[in-house]
Amino acid sequence: MKTLFLSFFLSIFLPIDINAQSYNNLWIPDTLSGTDFNLRIIDTFAQIVNTGNQTITGAINGKFWGPTLFVNKGDQIQMNVQNKLKDSITIHWHGMHLPAVMDGGPHQIIPPNTIWKPYWTIKNEAATYWYHPHLHEMAMEQITKGIGGLLIVRDDKEKALALPRKYGVDDIPLILTDRDFNSSNQFSIVPYGDSMLTNMTLRAKYEVPAQVVRFRVLNAAIERSFNIGFNDGRTFYVITSDGGLLNEPVAKTKYLLHAGERIEILVNFTNQNGSNVDLKAYNSLLGNNIPGGENFVTGPFGNYLGKKDFNILRLNVGSPTLNPITSIPNTLVSNTYLKAADAQLTRQLTISDSSGFPNILGPTAFLINRKLFKLNYNEYNIPLNNTEIWQITSSSNFGHPFHIHDVEFNILSINGVAPDASQAGWKDVVFIPGRTGNTNSVVKFIAKFDDFADPLHPFMYHCHIALHEDEGMMGQFVVTNTTATSNYKLIDDFFSIYPNPALDRIFIRFNSPNQSAYYIKIIDALGRTKLMLPQPHLENGIDIHHLKAGIYHLLLTDQSSKTTISRTFLKP
Amino acid sequence: MNGSISFTNFIIFPFIFGLFFTIRETRGIIQDFTLKNVNNEMISTTTYKDAKGFIVVFICNECPFAKLYTKRLNELSAKYKSLNVPLLAINSMDTLVYEDEGFKEMQQNAKASKFNFPYLHDVNQSVAKNFDAEHTPSAFIIWKEQNQWVLKYKGAIDDNGQNTSIAVPYVANAVDALLKNQPVLLNETLSFGCRIFYR
Repeated sequence: MKTLFLSFFLSIFLPIDINAQSYNNLWIPDTLSGTDFNLRIIDTFAQIVNTGNQTITGAINGKFWGPTLFVNKGDQIQMNVQNKLKDSITIHWHGMHLPAVMDGGPHQIIPPNTIWKPYWTIKNEAATYWYHPHLHEMAMEQITKGIGGLLIVRDDKEKALALPRKYGVDDIPLILTDRDFNSSNQFSIVPYGDSMLTNMTLRAKYEVPAQVVRFRVLNAAIERSFNIGFNDGRTFYVITSDGGLLNEPVAKTKYLLHAGERIEILVNFTNQNGSNVDLKAYNSLLGNNIPGGENFVTGPFGNYLGKKDFNILRLNVGSPTLNPITSIPNTLVSNTYLKAADAQLTRQLTISDSSGFPNILGPTAFLINRKLFKLNYNEYNIPLNNTEIWQITSSSNFGHPFHIHDVEFNILSINGVAPDASQAGWKDVVFIPGRTGNTNSVVKFIAKFDDFADPLHPFMYHCHIALHEDEGMMGQFVVTNTTATSNYKLIDDFFSIYPNPALDRIFIRFNSPNQSAYYIKIIDALGRTKLMLPQPHLENGIDIHHLKAGIYHLLLTDQSSKTTISRTFLKP
Repeated sequence: MNGSISFTNFIIFPFIFGLFFTIRETRGIIQDFTLKNVNNEMISTTTYKDAKGFIVVFICNECPFAKLYTKRLNELSAKYKSLNVPLLAINSMDTLVYEDEGFKEMQQNAKASKFNFPYLHDVNQSVAKNFDAEHTPSAFIIWKEQNQWVLKYKGAIDDNGQNTSIAVPYVANAVDALLKNQPVLLNETLSFGCRIFYR
């Protein structure tokens, strides 16, 4: 009884203390490293709201949100993605430069109970990337469920720098999202949530050591941008843009991070033991044409956080670690950026509201090149090794984070002005501001489309607001190698399989050395896809030990002719 | 300001939903059904001559949230079977797409989980469609009135999947009320878990 009275007393007279107790410890996602990654996508649940029922979520390997994958530049990595959801999905490796058939865009659909095995050699610079669902018209729902994870690339240049890199200690991932919980603690599938989630934690707090700390910040929200800064107005230092280290740290007190974007920042807590500071989103400062800057109270976009300042993370400063980093480096790496003069051509893209195009959609949907996305329509054929300027002219009254697959680009200008130093590096998302009055916005970036040509599988470009993407604000392009000629004439029985019946492994024997596999699918007798193998290595055969006994069809698409022929085998 | 499709959805969905519930409220009658139990016997609502009602729970083999309820379902079944309100668990998952939900796997699950109630295979999903079951787990209570099965409750089994000690037992409360000839005060709650995809 005494305790009850005391609690009651405290709750009336010491609201700040009670509030402090309501913080939750920031959850740090698990890690996986090496070159072989097993990712199992599952339906599950998590206790996100402190009281009441658990929330139904999706996850990769865990409860909510997937493991952070550490990879090294130059390594060939193998992903084994198993879909154990009761629904189809795709997993896109955001920011990765890789073959289109490995990219995990809307075409690489993984049906339930299927294993998809893409692989590629890491060509990206050290930085923070991520992976997330990309199934067309399902991206918002599947991202809301929490399916995704960080992908951190390390390389020699980054390793040579005196930067914090003890994961979860002085190198802290911060995945920023917001969610809406219904009265039963379940997610509503809406563009804006009422609650800030930092690493899937409500009201997060974390103890950082009194030294220089790196935060890897991802905006994984459906729509909201976060205008991040500290409540003591302190300076922080941006060291990466989306796709690599900057030439030198860029001092900032605020940074506006849009959906899909990542930055790494350094914050100096040296000699600040015992103090605390809040990382906040200063979204009251945003214009109403910036995601999160609108002030909708009701309706489909109504939300508690709109045009407000709110906490992202309470930081309590503890003792320094052994061998702490105590200073911000003056320089980082020496980048060679693309120059406008390098470009072979300039592509003109438009972003518009569909107003004035009544046959396309209602009054306020958003379009790229005045079209909605169609899976079977390809907008651009880009010759391999082309360097191109993409000039995006937006008459939309709303701003859009524009993302392109395959490449990291350099921003040339935003409304005629060169980008801020913090955005002058490698990027894969650029915010296209809404028009000002009757003046359209114009953003130019430059990219080189090298290494990977494939006339069959396209890459995407789209608005990274998942709602807009699902509604069709997306287009696709293929990179084609015009110098490669295919005069190979296909014969009917261009491959055979052995042994048959096969227990653990099945091998492919091509009839001609010119042949290789572009794609192999293994499908059971009832038509259920079991294995999806893009451009598989076949020297060691295909591992089929996990398949149940039965009859299977092996569908092989030939590399040069893209013809698909099937063979049947028995697994006893 | 933002996309019109979802805006339209937000306008239209409540309307459709309203219509949907109106139809069901007026319908509210569940026809007798017969399904195969994991012991290969056919079980029907007509099998239980003395049944005052049934607790019908849609579950499946693989859904982690549904799996949390194994013990509680056994308890509900043990308690209410003797009061002539048997519990019937039904798996209506599409077995063509989800092999793990097949009949053989149901048999294994029933054995491993020591189910003390029938675990029925709704192989063509027709019973789930009659109930408009959307998720596993989701519970329905039907009660005999004028020789018909009247829907008295639909929704969650209780309000906490993991923490049984603090859960409000929606289904038990509803059955208790019905056994006392009292109205069910909370006759609909939100069910959630794994979605039942219809073929």
